[in-house]
Amino acid sequence: MGDSKRHRILMVSDFFYPNFGGVENHIYLLSQCLLKLGHKVVVMTHAYGNRSGVRYMTGGLKVYYVPWKPFLLQNTLPTFYGTLPIIRTILIREQISLVHGHQAFSTLCHEALMHARTMGYKVVFTDHSLYGFADVGSIHMNKVLQFTLADVSQAICVSHTSKENTVLRSGLPPEKVYVIPNAVDTAMFKPAAERPSGNEITIVVISRLVYRKGADLLVEVIPEVCRMYPNVRFIVGGDGPKRVRLEEMREKHSLQDRVEMLGAVPHAQVRSVLISGHIFLNSSLTEAFCIAILEAASCGLLTVSTRVGGVPEAYDMIVLAEPDPTDMVQAIKKAISILPMIDPQDMHNRMKKLYDWHDVAKRTEIVYDRALKCSNQSLLERLSRYLACGAWAGKLFCLVMIIDFLLWRLLQLWKPAEDIEVVPDIVLSLDEDRGMSQDFQAFNEDHSLR
Amino acid sequence: MDNCIAENPSPTRAKWRKVAYGGMQPGFDDNHTDECFLEGMVMNANVVKRDMLKVMQDAISISQYLCIVVLVGLVWTYTLRSTLDESSLLYLDVSLLGSGFLVLLLTEEMLSLNLLLHYLVNVFFFTTGLFVLAPIYQTLTRSISSDTIWAVTVSLVILHLFLHDYSGSTVTAPGALKNPTLTSSISLNASVVASVFIASRLPSRLQVFAIMLFSLQVFLFAPLVTYCIKKYSFRLHLCFSFSLMAMTLAFVYTLHRLLFVLLLGLLVFVTVVCPYWLIRMQEYKFEINGPWDEAKLCFDITD
Repeated sequence: MGDSKRHRILMVSDFFYPNFGGVENHIYLLSQCLLKLGHKVVVMTHAYGNRSGVRYMTGGLKVYYVPWKPFLLQNTLPTFYGTLPIIRTILIREQISLVHGHQAFSTLCHEALMHARTMGYKVVFTDHSLYGFADVGSIHMNKVLQFTLADVSQAICVSHTSKENTVLRSGLPPEKVYVIPNAVDTAMFKPAAERPSGNEITIVVISRLVYRKGADLLVEVIPEVCRMYPNVRFIVGGDGPKRVRLEEMREKHSLQDRVEMLGAVPHAQVRSVLISGHIFLNSSLTEAFCIAILEAASCGLLTVSTRVGGVPEAYDMIVLAEPDPTDMVQAIKKAISILPMIDPQDMHNRMKKLYDWHDVAKRTEIVYDRALKCSNQSLLERLSRYLACGAWAGKLFCLVMIIDFLLWRLLQLWKPAEDIEVVPDIVLSLDEDRGMSQDFQAFNEDHSLR
Repeated sequence: MDNCIAENPSPTRAKWRKVAYGGMQPGFDDNHTDECFLEGMVMNANVVKRDMLKVMQDAISISQYLCIVVLVGLVWTYTLRSTLDESSLLYLDVSLLGSGFLVLLLTEEMLSLNLLLHYLVNVFFFTTGLFVLAPIYQTLTRSISSDTIWAVTVSLVILHLFLHDYSGSTVTAPGALKNPTLTSSISLNASVVASVFIASRLPSRLQVFAIMLFSLQVFLFAPLVTYCIKKYSFRLHLCFSFSLMAMTLAFVYTLHRLLFVLLLGLLVFVTVVCPYWLIRMQEYKFEINGPWDEAKLCFDITD
């Protein structure tokens, strides 16, 4: 690509492989594209079960599974200063130039960004979710986010709605926030060679069956649609606390032959489930950026979704509905009527033009360049930014940063940087023929072998 | 789809759109902030504008109940000091019961004979049950020291006041729609336990029965009676509250000067200072709603 500067990036998050999800896929695919652009990428996350230590993934992606166990909802225990030694060691060993943290809900990310700022590294943060303002959990989370983002170099959000939400929650100036959406791996999500024939219309739902993803809406919508259209059947993939309600609904309306419940679908098999259907239904109550819709559209399905969060921005050929059962049934009716005019291959080709991970990586590279151009600031200048966070909170944050600074100086005396061995740069010779698709297939095989 | 259009500064630059697909928009940076940024934000949509006088009138209900609880405490103190003997207590009980029923009859619009009979039968069973159980209450806390009893009683009464449901009544008339909440049930139980503790310190069985009947009458039925009065006529409610407050202050004055000052201070705080403080704090309320909010389900989830 012939870019001017080679960056050395550390991606930090609690959420990474072997977990599967939006954030995990984003970090992995973005890292792979950045490696292809010639940068060096290292990922840091917590240990998953026995998986602890250093692992190498496709393309030479080095992953540090730091030996901290998660304690609540995949997050490590927040100890404020406990992660300082290991982060300092990783940053010096790998000669990192920039730290990129992901997901506001990840405690490891917040701690890493705090320590990186203390040590003078430039920091970028990506927010993947929408949060409210009114309940106790959100208020606490927003204050922590305000602390982290008080001194961040640049921030990235995955949709314009998410940018508005992040700016309101953290008080960042909007010019510092870049909107770079996720993309979809179109090479993996290809439509079937032939559409499933017959006069039966299959509606596919794949999501975690929790309150946030609108499982209760499904319970109301499915019987109504089955009553109105005798030739429609449903395939529901995914597991969660609301699965019991769906099964009860199935029993109550005797829809056992028309509603198929698959349970948890492994990531490698999502495509095969998707291509067996004609319409994809997404009923979430809140969504910063819905990758599931893009995956379904890439497989040639017509999507019906609730009009929440960042969904209207994601794609223009979605049939939108308010999060209300009557409205959703109307939307499904409309989707069934326009279904004959949809060509799956057309949709797939269109999706290939609209979303591309390489484009995302290039735009992220621009953000990194801007971040590195930010001026270096001394401790006192940075403290003034923290003081602005609030009457009591500002002083508390300043105290936290001062102690962090002092601990860093202590570490520098105790374990000087010269004693830490620097990792030599190993450049893998990239096979020119090997495209992205093979990388991703290897990624999925990694998972199925595990 | 929301399409947000910007002004063209030059004819060659396309309009900026609020979409995520299609890669970087030509001519615009990724951190471009448009005029329609935060357009969908709605501030303070559900905030109720409060009027000082209305809040003070509502605060009167709280001070009224406070006075009722203080009166109960006074009766307890006098009984424990043997100033009030059994017969006067029993007269007090009967008169309270009678006046409560009178108020209900006068204020309730639809009170059929059946319902009245139902109430009377319940009260009869209640009283009989208390009379039969009085010996048990008398010996309940014999092994516990007095200091513990006073400390526990005071904390239970404070808990009762904190968690009490001042807007309605825990013991509702039959046919009421609202179920009692958890905190109102806890507060009711706290007051009952405090009454039992106090009653167990008394020497004679009849005294125990009388004081238990008095305490339970007040704690169980006073909210209902005051609620009926308030519903019937607001002016009557105000008169009743003020006379109750005056009576309480007079009695406490004769008992102990310091307590009188404390009670007066508390009543002023609740009736005047707190409403003013609430109205002042309302300026800082900042409720944010927008397209990023989690959607609310318009139907109830029935399991």
